[in-house]
Amino acid sequence: MAEQPVVSVKDVTKTYGKRGEKQYQALKGITFDVQPGEFVGIMGASGSGKTTLLNILSTLDRPTSGSVAINGQDVTALRGNQLSDFRAKRVGFIFQDFNLLENLTARENIALPMALQNVKSAQQQTAVTQIAQKLGIDAVLDHYPTELSGGQKQRVAAARALVQQPAILFGDEPTGALDSQSARELLNTMAQLNDQQHVSILLVTHDPFSASYAKRILFIKDGQIGQELVHGDKTQEQFYQEILTTLGTFQQ
Amino acid sequence: MLRKLALGGIRSRFRDYAVLFSGLVIGSAVFYMFLSLATNKAFLTANTMVGMTSFIFGFGEVLLVIITTVYIVYANSFLMSMRQRDYAMFMMLGAKSRKIAQLIFIETVTVGVLAAVVGIALGMGLTGVAGHVLMAQLHAPATHFSVVWPPAIMWTFVFFLLMFVVGALINAHNLLKTPLLDLLHAATTPNRLKTKKWVLGLQAVLAVVLLAIGYWAMSQLAKLVLAGIAIALVTIVLGSYFLFNALLVWLIGLLKKNKRFAAKGLHTFTLSQLSFRIRDYTRILAVVSILFALALGAITVGLGFEHDIPDLASKQNAYDTVVVDPNAATMAKARQLTGVKAQINYHLKQDAKHVYFNASELDRDPVLVVQFARGPVKFTKLTAANFAQKSGDYDSQLGQFLPAKAQGKQLAVLTASQFAALTSPVQTAHTWRLKDFTANYDQLSALNKAIVAQYGKESTAVYGQKFTYYDMINGAFSGMAFMGFFLGIAFLAMLASTLMFKILSGASYDQSRYLMLQKIGVRPGLLRKSVRQEIGALFFFPGLLGVIHVLFGLKMFVGLLQEPYGHLLLPFGLFIVLYAVYYLLTVWLYERIVIQKDIATD
Repeated sequence: MAEQPVVSVKDVTKTYGKRGEKQYQALKGITFDVQPGEFVGIMGASGSGKTTLLNILSTLDRPTSGSVAINGQDVTALRGNQLSDFRAKRVGFIFQDFNLLENLTARENIALPMALQNVKSAQQQTAVTQIAQKLGIDAVLDHYPTELSGGQKQRVAAARALVQQPAILFGDEPTGALDSQSARELLNTMAQLNDQQHVSILLVTHDPFSASYAKRILFIKDGQIGQELVHGDKTQEQFYQEILTTLGTFQQ
Repeated sequence: MLRKLALGGIRSRFRDYAVLFSGLVIGSAVFYMFLSLATNKAFLTANTMVGMTSFIFGFGEVLLVIITTVYIVYANSFLMSMRQRDYAMFMMLGAKSRKIAQLIFIETVTVGVLAAVVGIALGMGLTGVAGHVLMAQLHAPATHFSVVWPPAIMWTFVFFLLMFVVGALINAHNLLKTPLLDLLHAATTPNRLKTKKWVLGLQAVLAVVLLAIGYWAMSQLAKLVLAGIAIALVTIVLGSYFLFNALLVWLIGLLKKNKRFAAKGLHTFTLSQLSFRIRDYTRILAVVSILFALALGAITVGLGFEHDIPDLASKQNAYDTVVVDPNAATMAKARQLTGVKAQINYHLKQDAKHVYFNASELDRDPVLVVQFARGPVKFTKLTAANFAQKSGDYDSQLGQFLPAKAQGKQLAVLTASQFAALTSPVQTAHTWRLKDFTANYDQLSALNKAIVAQYGKESTAVYGQKFTYYDMINGAFSGMAFMGFFLGIAFLAMLASTLMFKILSGASYDQSRYLMLQKIGVRPGLLRKSVRQEIGALFFFPGLLGVIHVLFGLKMFVGLLQEPYGHLLLPFGLFIVLYAVYYLLTVWLYERIVIQKDIATD
């Protein structure tokens, strides 16, 4: 029996602008699956529709047509509180600008999704300590975000995204605001989580280096999937070169 | 082009401006209303006890100017918080600082002038409505009351224009001083609270000590007089400030440490929001608590005076009206009295020096007189037995039993047989006691006119009437009551809107926080709850402290009012309802700014 895909996207289109007005089609029929434990990268230039796609996958936006299922559940049918609860339990996010609450300490930020589900305080603390150790931020848990470096902030954000053990972790340019050293560390951590904990990851980026950590890369151009690359047995260096070459020809 | 940009800015954010604008309009309307009374000397002298008037209004004017200034400062900072990113963008596009300063100036002053003009118009309407409703209720004669009062129009306009010109200059200065990048990424970045524990402890102790001194000073006002007011003002202001600084921080810390409470839902977030705000808010919360106390105190004292009018009047006379030998016209008016509790007639006879009651009539229905004492009304019954002994103390109340042309004669009692033997003609004193004096006001007024027509203005028949006293006391007190009530409502409107703007001016910074919470899956209902709790705390604590201030402050009126603590329910209830309306309005506006309706939720 084939395993059910974590993310299943079918014929998703998104059109901006009302009927009768000037319309713009950002997505023109996208179909792909993410299998459990996969690390998928989505690449494309600015305006290619990759952010629109991620917003739809993460239920922050709705497709004009087509369906999106996460863990077998059609997310386009969710409404109101169901939608909020789905976001809280089933998906985790990391954003480019961290999106941490500045008035909460790292510990409180990480515990927040559990507090929302009324998990017992003691359980919250154990879970926070565990995930913080995995991400190497246990020393800075009682600091406020303004007292942390960019890399640390993004790890806190990752910890918050993962603490509820979501079905999938979405990353929207998570290394975009980091220096190269922090970026490399974060990506290594993500790859490790993927390898050892089998966390499914979907990473949207335009940075070839970040993308080279993925096992499979989908290239989007003008709202459609144009090409697909698979990491396979290649070394990361070879895969990186391949991405660069593909980008070089793909954009033309 | 510049004007287009400035005014275009207003148009593009019309809804936010509508909030700001309506608040300012209320502000200038209240300002106008107060000035239309305060600068109308003819009205004041006609309606109030002369000595108190200038003091109360002088005090009121100072307070109103202070609160309006604070209010405009916060309104302006709200205005800037909405616009600074746009300004920063213009600067990035190469606009010169002079141009930006002009832009801010045009925009701010336009808003101020428009608000003043609309506010004055609204103020005229409100002055008309509020004035007449209140005056009718208080039976105040309202002589020289005028809705359109040119000096008030001028001063309101000048004050608002001046405030906004100064505000615009300060705004422009602050904006141009702030680095461009900070403006573009404007978001308050809170830091760790750095106050040391012993400092907090010291402040908490100071707060309690200062408040105790202030409350004591208010209760000893009779001895300390003006020094008492000064001591109370300084200690209570400082005490309130320290109380908010220390006690609330401590309270929030305590709640946060309680893991079982804090680890539930959005509690941590709500508490953190509060604890980061509280430093920024201590000053305004202290000011709000003081103004709350002043406003509520003004309303309570105003209504206290109003309550005192019938109370005091009923202490002047046991009978609602007494007429000796009424003619047909007077009798016709008397018959129209409603809710008559007792109608008793006494027969009287005169000789050269005396006016006599019949002892048998007095024993059947003793004449009632009111004892001169504080507290509830107590009657003394004058019977044949004690009349000679006691009546001397109550001359002023018994004067109305003297028939026309009998002034100067003594009241006395004859036994039934002696009374019958006396040959002079019998006259009849008609007395009425009513269930509700004020409900019969119009009938009594008509009756009084008839009595004046029958006996002449200067007769004891008129002087002794309860109605005459009532009118006299009413003339003195209703002016005070009106002012207290008016000032109270005006202050409430201003202080609550000040708090509202302070809170709302932080809302645009909070927008991203709430959006993020929505993104990570916080239910919108839970977010609303958090907003309600957070703003609720900011409204509740100054309100609570204000109520406590008032309860102690009423001690100052023990000498002036019959029962300063007797009628608290109405003023407190009214005040709290109005305050709650402001709270709900703030919550509603805040939610509209910070909670996104459509992140794919419906």
